[in-house]
Amino acid sequence: MKKQFLHLSILTLLTTAVFTACKKEKGESNEEEVITTMQLTLTPHDGSTPLVYKFEDADGPGGAAPSIDQIVLASSETYDVALQLLNKTVNPAEDITEEIEEEADAHRFYFEPAAGSNITISGLDKDGNGVDLGVNSTWTTGAAATGSITITLRHYPAEPPNKAAGDAVNSQKSGTDIEATFTTKIQ
Amino acid sequence: MISRLLLLFVLLAARQVQAQSCSTQLTGHITDQDTREPLAGASILLQEIDWQVTTDSSGDFIFNNLCTGRYTLIVSHVSCGTIQQKIRIEKNRHVDVLMPHARSTLSEVVVAARTGINNTGFKKEAGRRKLEEARGFSISEALAKINGVTLLQTGSAIAKPVIHGLHGNRLLTINNGVRQEGQQWGNEHAPEIDAFIADRLTIIKGVDELRYGSDAIGGVILVQPKPLQYQPGHLAEINTGYFTNNRQYVASAVWEQQFQNLPSFAYRLQGTFKKGANATTPHYRLNNTASEEYNFSATAGWRRRQFNTELFYSRFNTETGIFIGSHTGNLSDLQKAVESDRPDATFLGQNTYTIGRPYQHVTHHLAKSRTQFIIHDHRFTIQLAGQFNNRKEYDIVRSSNNKQPQLNLTISTLSEDISWEHPVWKNWQGTAGVSAMQQDNAYAGRYFIPNYTANTWGAYALEKWVRHKWEMQAGLRYDHKRISTNRLITGSGTFDNFDFSYNTFAAAFNTAFKPVTGWKLNAAISLSERAPHVNELLSNGIHHGTATYEEGDITLHAEQAINLLLGLSWHNEQHTVSAEADLYHNTINDFIYRQPEPGEPVLTIAGAFPKIRYRQTDAALTGLDVSVVIKPRKQWEWVSRASLLRARNRLAGDWLTQMPADRVSKEIVYHFKNIKRLSDPYVSVEWQHVFKQTRIPGENNGKQDYKAPPAAWSLVNLNTAVTLCITRQLPVTFNLGVKNLLNKAYRDYLNSMRYFADETGRNIYLRLTVPVNGSITHANKNKQ
Repeated sequence: MKKQFLHLSILTLLTTAVFTACKKEKGESNEEEVITTMQLTLTPHDGSTPLVYKFEDADGPGGAAPSIDQIVLASSETYDVALQLLNKTVNPAEDITEEIEEEADAHRFYFEPAAGSNITISGLDKDGNGVDLGVNSTWTTGAAATGSITITLRHYPAEPPNKAAGDAVNSQKSGTDIEATFTTKIQ
Repeated sequence: MISRLLLLFVLLAARQVQAQSCSTQLTGHITDQDTREPLAGASILLQEIDWQVTTDSSGDFIFNNLCTGRYTLIVSHVSCGTIQQKIRIEKNRHVDVLMPHARSTLSEVVVAARTGINNTGFKKEAGRRKLEEARGFSISEALAKINGVTLLQTGSAIAKPVIHGLHGNRLLTINNGVRQEGQQWGNEHAPEIDAFIADRLTIIKGVDELRYGSDAIGGVILVQPKPLQYQPGHLAEINTGYFTNNRQYVASAVWEQQFQNLPSFAYRLQGTFKKGANATTPHYRLNNTASEEYNFSATAGWRRRQFNTELFYSRFNTETGIFIGSHTGNLSDLQKAVESDRPDATFLGQNTYTIGRPYQHVTHHLAKSRTQFIIHDHRFTIQLAGQFNNRKEYDIVRSSNNKQPQLNLTISTLSEDISWEHPVWKNWQGTAGVSAMQQDNAYAGRYFIPNYTANTWGAYALEKWVRHKWEMQAGLRYDHKRISTNRLITGSGTFDNFDFSYNTFAAAFNTAFKPVTGWKLNAAISLSERAPHVNELLSNGIHHGTATYEEGDITLHAEQAINLLLGLSWHNEQHTVSAEADLYHNTINDFIYRQPEPGEPVLTIAGAFPKIRYRQTDAALTGLDVSVVIKPRKQWEWVSRASLLRARNRLAGDWLTQMPADRVSKEIVYHFKNIKRLSDPYVSVEWQHVFKQTRIPGENNGKQDYKAPPAAWSLVNLNTAVTLCITRQLPVTFNLGVKNLLNKAYRDYLNSMRYFADETGRNIYLRLTVPVNGSITHANKNKQ
């Protein structure tokens, strides 16, 4: 009996020791789903230098507030706009746009300029079924104005995704991955 | 638990038999384990001396002028099986024998000597019949058969028990004597226990909860397997079932054996497999609500007169799909989904067993060793247990190439308990013990709670005094808990470390008074303290289920609860009418809850999320559970139950959110007469009514909900069973039933799926129980 008791106490002590000796600092594995940055590259048709604007939340959701550029464009100009999504919590930064393009039939960008912003969006690129994707688009500006534009990335979770041309931005078929609003200024 | 301990006590508290005297008296009382009704006409045989008596109309029997020594007590009643138990008689004694209901199949008996330590506080059990009716459903649904217990659900497959309005870390679940340590803090985290392991489910409050912790503010759930059978031969039981709603099938088998030439050793193996397809509501089928579960357990015991030890291992494994239409990316998505009466057609109609994202996969391993020895009537118990719990949540992801879980929590726990039970001295009996626990939690993927190590140690002492009509019990417990956490801050390479230390204290006092036969009055007061859980201190992130940004608070301190209980029970002399009422008032100071902070939305790349902070307030939960059982004729049984709760946030002067609505139920059971080989046939119809929850917090202090509580609902359930004795040793039980007979479309306030879809519709099930009794005693008897 005594021997058993001794064995048990030793076992208890050992397990306690193992646990308390556990190394405390463990690395957090990368949070793969983080999108820190949405970057717009606007190339004007007049051949001048492309413009780059960003919505960036360097530490992901929570923590420091995101920094949002104001999109400043020339009046009566046409821009080819390329949209890029990045995860900058890893080094080098991960380009998430590729993932979106690979599964284009389950994703869709929507561009919604506020009324009076004098920006018209057209020429969205398409997925394999000919439905809008929106990684590339064409923006046409009007007269000088200030306003805003909301860019939304919707994700279709169902299998098959059932993405259709007529789906509204708030369709129940899809969920929001990104919803970012920039202020705009046309000068 | 207590009755199990007593069984062991009776069997093991073997004292040295001195000179044999033949003037002792054995009296006893036989009760139906299920109905709690005395069993008249049961025959009791003392095998060694071949002396048989029969119980009288009140279930009592008596043997006079017995010689001291060991006897085999064989109890049988007009049913298929016989039950036997070894018993030691040294002086006049009384035994209470609980006969499993006739529907029961494995021979089992619980002998509780009247001097035993029974809880004098609040104790409610889901008896064998109730457990049988819940077979194939989750352990939480079996618990919800107890008056005062409701369910907090996420869809139809994930359910947590709620006792008197409290759930999660405010309840302790004791699985086969071990404090279950998984991830119980989340609303969508169901208990990681195989329902088929439980032979008995009990809820206790009061002094006895101090054995397990000082933090059982809402009570303790005891999940008790059947004790090992130390009786030569083997026993087996197979349970199967099929459920039409989600085409679910379930199979569970248990095998136990004791070798004749190795009388000290017994073992048991048990396993369960369950698989269900997508569930259907009355009007549509919900995609991705399939689930799968496979569990296994093994028990081995070694028993000598003054020493016994038991090894137990169990593995629980489940994969559960979450309705795909409930996935939302941000607040506006959620509001859009909530406004709609019906989910989008894209998410409906697939009748398949396939589980896709989002789903959760949970594994829980438990290994324990429990050793008891008796030295001069002092009983010592040493229990060591190790638990490993892994919870993986697979969210909807952008790329289908991604096979990783988005949340991966691994928690390992070691616990050590030593207890001492002193011999009965005059009217006193008692126990004391120390316990320790070491825990390590690690996460990978999305941050919700940090890595942490926690160390707890505690000590308790309980004492009970019994005399004539009075029973009193008091106890104290102290626990010390240290938590040290660490988290790597995203993108920065730096760690956030926080250390916490809590001292918690608990004390309780119960008393029971039986003024005259038939009446029993209970009163209990208990003080308990619960240290905040890591999620309440340090959670920080988007909670996708509720589209909120949850933020913990490191300044939270322990909750203190004062729980007052008053119970009254009565039955008439013929046991044809019985009634029970339990009134409780639980005052919880520094009650930790989630407070919306409307002025501080968190802006993320996916839009703005409302912020919710863990805060403390003073809460008060007052409620009443009433049940009445009337048996107007021998074959009729009429059960009525009601459960009411009022939960207040006292500082805000408002109601608390997410509290169960008042409910009532009625059940009528008709027992047919036994016909030849058909025994115990019955039909029962149950009507359940849940009122609309009208007591919800106002919106002026931050909106706490997105949708008004659903309307009141009523369900009708039907159940019927019969046991066919194919041979005397092979009684097969058939059970056919319907849940939601009228296929009613409804939503429940405590199911988060109510934002999106209706509850499941009609579910017809057929269950079969096949026991195989290979007891050698029986075999010999048959030869004679």
